[in-house]
Amino acid sequence: MKYLPFVFKNLFRKKTRSLLTLGSILLPLFVICVMGTLLKTLSRDPSEGRGMYRLVVRHKVSLTNFIPEAYRERIFQLGGIQEMSIWCWFGGKYVDYSAKNQFARFGVEPEKFLKVFDEARFIEGTAPDWISDRAGAIVGDALAKKYGWKVGQKITLTGDIYPITLDLTIRGIYTAENASALFFNWTYVEEALPRVKGRIGTFYVKAKSAADVERLPKQIDALFENADPPTKTETEKDFQNGFVSMLGNVKFMLTGICTAIVFVILLIAANTMAMAARERVTEIAVLRTLGYQKSTILGMILGESLLLALFGGVAGLAFFVLTFPGFKAWLMNTPMAGFAAGIKLFPSVLAAGFGVAVFVGLVAGVVPAIRSARRSITDGLRQVG
Amino acid sequence: MLGIPLKYNIRNLFVRKVTTGLTVLGIGLVVAVFLCVMALGEGLTRVFTASGSENNVLVLRQNSQSELQSGVSRDQVPLILTLPGVAPDADGKPLASAELVVVLNLEKREGGSSNVTIRGIGEKGMKLRPGLTLVQGRWFTPGKSEVVVSRGISSRFKDCSMGETIHFGAYRWTVVGIFDAGGTAPDSEIWTDVEGMITDFKRGGYSSVLARTGGRAARDQFQAGLAGDARLALEGKVERKYYDDQTSTAAPIKFLGFFVGIVMAIGACFGAMNTMYAAVAARTREIATLRALGFSRLSVLISFVFESLCLALLGGLLGCALGWLAVKLALSGVTGTTNFATFSEVVFAFRLTPALLMTGIVFSLVMGFFGGLFPASRAAFTKITNALRQVG
Repeated sequence: MKYLPFVFKNLFRKKTRSLLTLGSILLPLFVICVMGTLLKTLSRDPSEGRGMYRLVVRHKVSLTNFIPEAYRERIFQLGGIQEMSIWCWFGGKYVDYSAKNQFARFGVEPEKFLKVFDEARFIEGTAPDWISDRAGAIVGDALAKKYGWKVGQKITLTGDIYPITLDLTIRGIYTAENASALFFNWTYVEEALPRVKGRIGTFYVKAKSAADVERLPKQIDALFENADPPTKTETEKDFQNGFVSMLGNVKFMLTGICTAIVFVILLIAANTMAMAARERVTEIAVLRTLGYQKSTILGMILGESLLLALFGGVAGLAFFVLTFPGFKAWLMNTPMAGFAAGIKLFPSVLAAGFGVAVFVGLVAGVVPAIRSARRSITDGLRQVG
Repeated sequence: MLGIPLKYNIRNLFVRKVTTGLTVLGIGLVVAVFLCVMALGEGLTRVFTASGSENNVLVLRQNSQSELQSGVSRDQVPLILTLPGVAPDADGKPLASAELVVVLNLEKREGGSSNVTIRGIGEKGMKLRPGLTLVQGRWFTPGKSEVVVSRGISSRFKDCSMGETIHFGAYRWTVVGIFDAGGTAPDSEIWTDVEGMITDFKRGGYSSVLARTGGRAARDQFQAGLAGDARLALEGKVERKYYDDQTSTAAPIKFLGFFVGIVMAIGACFGAMNTMYAAVAARTREIATLRALGFSRLSVLISFVFESLCLALLGGLLGCALGWLAVKLALSGVTGTTNFATFSEVVFAFRLTPALLMTGIVFSLVMGFFGGLFPASRAAFTKITNALRQVG
């Protein structure tokens, strides 16, 4: 430890080089954090730690087929259900079909919906306001922030699956874990398009207990096994994971990118350390003549490498944390918007980033450290340059 | 003005083997990652840009973005087919196919599930898509719940191999053939006859009508005819354009490629800068000597920028080689993702095109240029007398 000031001095002896190396660790580490956050977001349990006993009931063959609303009564009779709500994907167009104007729009039954989705909290507007307005809608705070929506504002959605134009009024802004959807009263669509009545996309069911969550999917599906149409019931988590699985092997791609990036940082840091050690051959030989042990030299070079990587790493993590809100807002306006809505700072991602920095520091310093320690004094002193 | 021989720089690169090697490898990896991600995006884009014909018109309900959202009722079909512009087939009937599109949630072989498009086609459906070939088995017989499956879907999903049965509750379809559509949209689909499918799914009508028109003028006429009939509430999209509009599916991947590529390139550029600064520092006396011999500042500047460009070019070439190897060896199979416009699986392969490889090279040269500029200007402004006096 007493050599720390010395190691420190060495580290910043060549200021330009140290700063450039810090920069070239900082930026890749930022990318690693972004990739890690995306990975984590994709593999996250949507009901994580909330004890939300939610199930999704849909048509067995396809999410795009409808199930009869009449199933509700029969499902309810199975017991153990707190509440259930119609939950219909509306799709459609807001302004245009560009990626930045894509967000989830669902038709629901407001009163029942608020009991099923009970972690949602109104931060503007009230539940009764929404419930009493057939053409009312509520939007997530992330969405409201992105578009600058206010309560009372009108939004037009042009239907594609349903040939109807919805003129909605925002009656509330809610906040929740991933508040990036718009919900409106499904009655609006049913009244305008009588042929739609009684045929719905999915039911969201809130069960009373963990045991009911366990029991209900099998019982619901058994109930309609020979009915037309049959149903598929799964937990909200499995339902969400189904979408992730639909994206294909994204996890493999993100992990692959991260691995390659770790190598890039490693190469750059190793290069810096190799250059530093080479320039100091004579100096190290002098230190050795003064009585410094091989192990001390080894420790000093390794320590310098570790310190360099840690500086870059911590700077990278700090950069990521500080720019995160802005970065997320920016990402919401890119083709990545669909993925960006759910991202947040995960401590585990930051920990992994720190781990990468330590790993890089140790590995990058090993070869130069051993070579410097092993070189014979006479060899080192003889060297010119 | 006298230039410093290029050989001087190239030899110097090889003198500093370790540093050159590490820097080249770093740039190479960045280029390789960029290329792999872009090859993924390119492969996906190509499915859409290669699909559909200029002469086919896809009739959809107004405002529908995809066939899945569209609906065409039975009684509308004869009205559509009698509009002027539809080309007749050899038998005198219009060359058109009323089709039904449904997505099925199938289990993937690798685990998880995804939605796959099952398309019911009319008797002319095959003629409208000439690129299709049967690679195994036979075409389906109408009315017998038989399907033909694309090679891509067959390799990625359970129960989709030749002779197997896809079943859901009351529905059962036997796979009687495997087809290949040369990397176009049908390569992500399962086909059967439309009437059987309407019965199976208890649908009241079709999703869309695909019609061949006899050339540009006839096509415009047909489209105008559709738009002109307000009762139909339908619109005709050129099939080619319909698929072009779906290329945005690849946008997130391409965005990711550029994001990772650019940020990493700046990082690697810093690395190259380090290497070049060290190269300049180690050769201060040499540079001063060159200047004393009469080489101008500009010559020295150009010389070092050139050295940096060479360094980066080696990295770029290595990156292209690594990317090419990765795509050929590790990523050679078909992969799939979901096209959210049609809410179903699209099967595609990585595509590393010459244009992409060139982008990789240009990318590395840009890194080399910026990485070399500042160290080179330091070299150019070396004070001759001081530097020559310097020992070591």
